[in-house]
Amino acid sequence: MTHSDTEPLDRGGAWAVIGAGPHGLSALKALLQAGIDADGFERDADLGGNWNFHAENSRVYESTHLISTKPFTQFPDFPMPDSYPDYPSHWQVHRYFRSYAEHFGLLDHLLLNTEVVRVVPVAGDRWDVTVRDRATGDERTMQYAGVVVANGHNWWPKIPQYPGQDTFTGEIRHSAQYKSADVVRGKRVLVVGAGNTGCDVAVESAQNAKETYHSTRRGYYYNPKYAFGRPSDQTADLMLAMRIPLAVRRVMFKATLRLTVGDFTKFGLRKPDHAFFETHPIVNQQLVYYVGHGDIKPKPDIDRFDGATVHFTDGTSADVDTVVFCTGYLAKFPFLDESLLNLEGDHPVLARQIFTPASPTLVVSGLIQPDSGQWTIAHWQGVLIATYAAVQATDPAAAEHFYDAMVGEVDVRFTGGTDYKDSTRHYYEIAHQEYLQALERDLERLGDAALVSAR
Amino acid sequence: MIRRRSPKVMRLWDWSLPPTSAHREVLSIVPEGWHDEPRATRKPPLLFIHGLAHGAWCWREHWMPAAAERGFPTYAVSLRGHGDSGGRKRIGRTLLRHYVHDVMQTITELPQPPVLVGHSMGALIAQLVADRYQPRGLALLTPAPIQGAAGIMLKLARHRPLDAAKVVAGGTVPLRAEDLFTGLDETTAARYVDRLGRESPWAQYELLIPKKIGPVRAPVLVVGTPDDRVVDEAAVEVTAETYGVDPVWIPGIGHDLMLDAGWEKPLSVVLDWVDDRC
Repeated sequence: MTHSDTEPLDRGGAWAVIGAGPHGLSALKALLQAGIDADGFERDADLGGNWNFHAENSRVYESTHLISTKPFTQFPDFPMPDSYPDYPSHWQVHRYFRSYAEHFGLLDHLLLNTEVVRVVPVAGDRWDVTVRDRATGDERTMQYAGVVVANGHNWWPKIPQYPGQDTFTGEIRHSAQYKSADVVRGKRVLVVGAGNTGCDVAVESAQNAKETYHSTRRGYYYNPKYAFGRPSDQTADLMLAMRIPLAVRRVMFKATLRLTVGDFTKFGLRKPDHAFFETHPIVNQQLVYYVGHGDIKPKPDIDRFDGATVHFTDGTSADVDTVVFCTGYLAKFPFLDESLLNLEGDHPVLARQIFTPASPTLVVSGLIQPDSGQWTIAHWQGVLIATYAAVQATDPAAAEHFYDAMVGEVDVRFTGGTDYKDSTRHYYEIAHQEYLQALERDLERLGDAALVSAR
Repeated sequence: MIRRRSPKVMRLWDWSLPPTSAHREVLSIVPEGWHDEPRATRKPPLLFIHGLAHGAWCWREHWMPAAAERGFPTYAVSLRGHGDSGGRKRIGRTLLRHYVHDVMQTITELPQPPVLVGHSMGALIAQLVADRYQPRGLALLTPAPIQGAAGIMLKLARHRPLDAAKVVAGGTVPLRAEDLFTGLDETTAARYVDRLGRESPWAQYELLIPKKIGPVRAPVLVVGTPDDRVVDEAAVEVTAETYGVDPVWIPGIGHDLMLDAGWEKPLSVVLDWVDDRC
């Protein structure tokens, strides 16, 4: 490894974008469109981030499909092809990101196989970014006017610890290492966690394994992908478009579930302990079906492991060969002093999930868990960041004014009026429409700030 | 001003009731070797969007081959229900947002952001597209008025009350040779008028309503003609004012300036502007 003592290469007014997943790509595109020079860095040999199946840190599995439909999931200025289905597969998503990057000419501004190893603040709110060429191991440092962190938050596995876990004689894996049903075929399997991954894996296990147990901490609402012949997320957006209040929407959704799926408890599932919308939505039409066929046996939380046996909190037990922890991921920023992201315990607290009080030129894109599709939001986060960067370049006073206003609202969350259950998966939970309304106002504010200052 | 100062983020109807898809006719002429030229220096693609009751064919007649001759890759889309695109049976339920969808879909298939060249209603659609997508440039030819076409409708009602009544009842705006052309021989003019199809009544009603457009971060060109019998000078001026530009006037040619005698002049205005500004 070479490490030169030379001065970092000064990239002037350019910004660095870390990660070439959907958020990195849309930030890079927005910066370039706003006339800001920008370099994107991606540690893998291909773009796509989580959706680049073969990448080391990709967490999609062979059967992964979107759980929200195209209209809100796609970039609003680059719709997915009409030939794609309502819920495209991860292969199609990856092709889509590639054509997005090609169309907007992002490949010329993207350094692949290049890992960001250090991001260090220097005088004048500027940043020294050290990157390593993964082929040669060579490192070099460049200085930027700003940094967009878009390295994703669904790659660092969160693995729980239960009593006796070390004595377990079977195999334990995290869903991070689950790429296909091969790992469960013919086995007795315990799937832990009822996130969307947990439910997908439980269903695949039901189709392929000998026995499948599904352990969840609480009862949930399992939403169908289609109800009354329409994709459910579009119906949800229609209700929001018609300004139907939360309480009424809750009643309507519960009634819809009752009519289409029925009473969960009659399938042997537990009654949800929370109101609708208080946990990140699970969209899975098949889980309840397999529970009804006895191919998935619902279980409560794990109490302890003992040899090949898993004991549950209700006193029951099961002998299993493989445990798949679908217990989620934690956000990690290995290249950055994380205190720069205003940590509260183990997670960053950012204004609009974007701006940190620690620096006006360090922003984050993608640290969100929307209750709907994601890349419409990725687009607008990118536009807000790029507009802000452009104002910073042309009118620093207006940018400062805007930044101060943002940081003043660092504790504002966008929950859509619901009280999310306390769980690490809800750190970044946002109600998609409420959040975008805030970004729309911010873009107005940013435009006005620049106008006022120009007078 | 018919402008928003910041972009429109909330598109509730797009998210909840997305347009259905329809088969699209896209004509193209790409000069040989264009794909191999460096992206930064090669000429940008031109995407032509036709007007009311027209189809991609109207660009194929003269402009596409001539622009390709000058090195431009050219594309023209037939909006659904027009030309050889699908959706003819559903034209009675088609809205401008469906046309916007068709153009957006066409754009995503292009190798790089195009210059949008819209004619009449197509110019209005081009503006609605530019409200959500940053094109390389926006050329508006005898544009349907962004402030709403109520004035055109009133004029029609005064001079041709029967035609106006037909439109109110959902019929296609009757476009005659004398409305569209000034210098074509009768046979050619009749041949073009014969090719005009049906227009969606809902799209026509929508043309009457003023549109709001957000900031467009692209060079804008507005071309009008004093001899236009469909879109008058005042309407063209409002569109130009909206984008803070002066319209370019081309006398002696009719509303369909891509088909009328003397089509070379407006084309060279557009291509020179693209070379110069985009």
